[in-house]
Amino acid sequence: MASGRLSKVKGKVVDIPNPPTIGTATAGGESVSIAFTADSSGKGGPTRSYIAKSNPGNITATGSTSPINVTGLTVGTSYTISVAGVNETGTGEYSSASGSATPIELTSFESIATVALSGSQSTITFSSIPQTYKHLQLRLLGRTDRASADDYFSVRFNSDNTAANYRGHYLIGEGANVYSGDHGNDYAIYGRLTGASASSNMFGVGVIDMLDYTNTNKYKTGRNFGGQDINGSAAYAWNGSSLWMSTSAITSFVIYPGAGSNFVQYTHAALYGIKG
Amino acid sequence: MAAGATYEPIATTTLGSAQSTITFSSIPGTYTDLVAVSTIAFNNSDSLALRFNGDTSSSTLYSWTMLSGNGSGAVTTRASNGARALADYNGFPTSTVGEYVSIIQIMNYSNSTTFKTAISRGNSAVSGHGTDAVVSLYRSTSPITSITFGMGTAMTQNFAVGSTITLYGIAAA
Repeated sequence: MASGRLSKVKGKVVDIPNPPTIGTATAGGESVSIAFTADSSGKGGPTRSYIAKSNPGNITATGSTSPINVTGLTVGTSYTISVAGVNETGTGEYSSASGSATPIELTSFESIATVALSGSQSTITFSSIPQTYKHLQLRLLGRTDRASADDYFSVRFNSDNTAANYRGHYLIGEGANVYSGDHGNDYAIYGRLTGASASSNMFGVGVIDMLDYTNTNKYKTGRNFGGQDINGSAAYAWNGSSLWMSTSAITSFVIYPGAGSNFVQYTHAALYGIKG
Repeated sequence: MAAGATYEPIATTTLGSAQSTITFSSIPGTYTDLVAVSTIAFNNSDSLALRFNGDTSSSTLYSWTMLSGNGSGAVTTRASNGARALADYNGFPTSTVGEYVSIIQIMNYSNSTTFKTAISRGNSAVSGHGTDAVVSLYRSTSPITSITFGMGTAMTQNFAVGSTITLYGIAAA
């Protein structure tokens, strides 16, 4: 309980506040949120604020009401939290410790690298991919020199050029017909881009998620979403899934246009890492 | 390889009263892509539309292609010329905010060399509704500095109270 520390405020003797009743600790990204119930005895008059303190680390955070979020904690470390009230006289005694909570990775979406083409190029490569994220996302705006309104693109990982190691499925709407198919035992086709006969300003786009890419116990699964609208035939809204049948962590990948074609100027591929 | 945190909220609008359009203007040109996340409600069955830069200068500025499934089949359709882009074809009317959500990706919105392409997915878990994917083309090389969301062909129907749209920016390294 409170030590009985006193001060005189406007002629009144004011005690430090009793500790609040500790509540549930909830883990968040590099943080723990602690709930508590204010002391109802009225001792020490109005409590101005509360301090929450971690154990280990003695990292503190302040707030005027429950809950208080203690940030800057280490991912994977188990913490308990205690809370004390603060008034004119000072800081009261801390409450009993909460149950333990272990902070998780802070969710974050980070740019890793970008390739922006100033001319034609046969492939686009991302190498030395950091292994510090949970998932990867490729955001692509592209066009090729294929003598058609559209072209395909596919992805190969870690220089694995064995077609049978890849699979993929797709669902495409092109305005008049719905197509669904299986790219069995072939390089997974991730989507479509515009080709040379589309208007020169028209580019296809895609957002491709490569999930759990550092895991060494699972094959690697991707989900693909994109489209191109070129005001006529060969316009597509596409969804797809892809599988690379390898348990190796993805450390690099190469984006290929359709056979014999090249990506052209203004094609833009940006790779992001997702934590959490 | 360079790295940097991104996917930053630019603005959020939550309606306190029903209104026909939601506009984000003065969008900074410092990102690579934009993402709009909407949880909206509306009482009329119609499509969720987009208009960029307030641009209605031509009836052939926009085109779109969509793919939709409702649990019993899949359909696709296309509009070659129009005065709006499309974010959701079905409209999935619902009176409860949160039953319908769409995520709209507007790629390379600030460049001045390519036409602008947006892709979107809309989903409603309400019985009889479904999911759809749409690709839209805005035939302009102007950077996108404002986006207006509306309902229906004329964009004159109302979003319900509580409808929320948040706009995010994603910057490439």
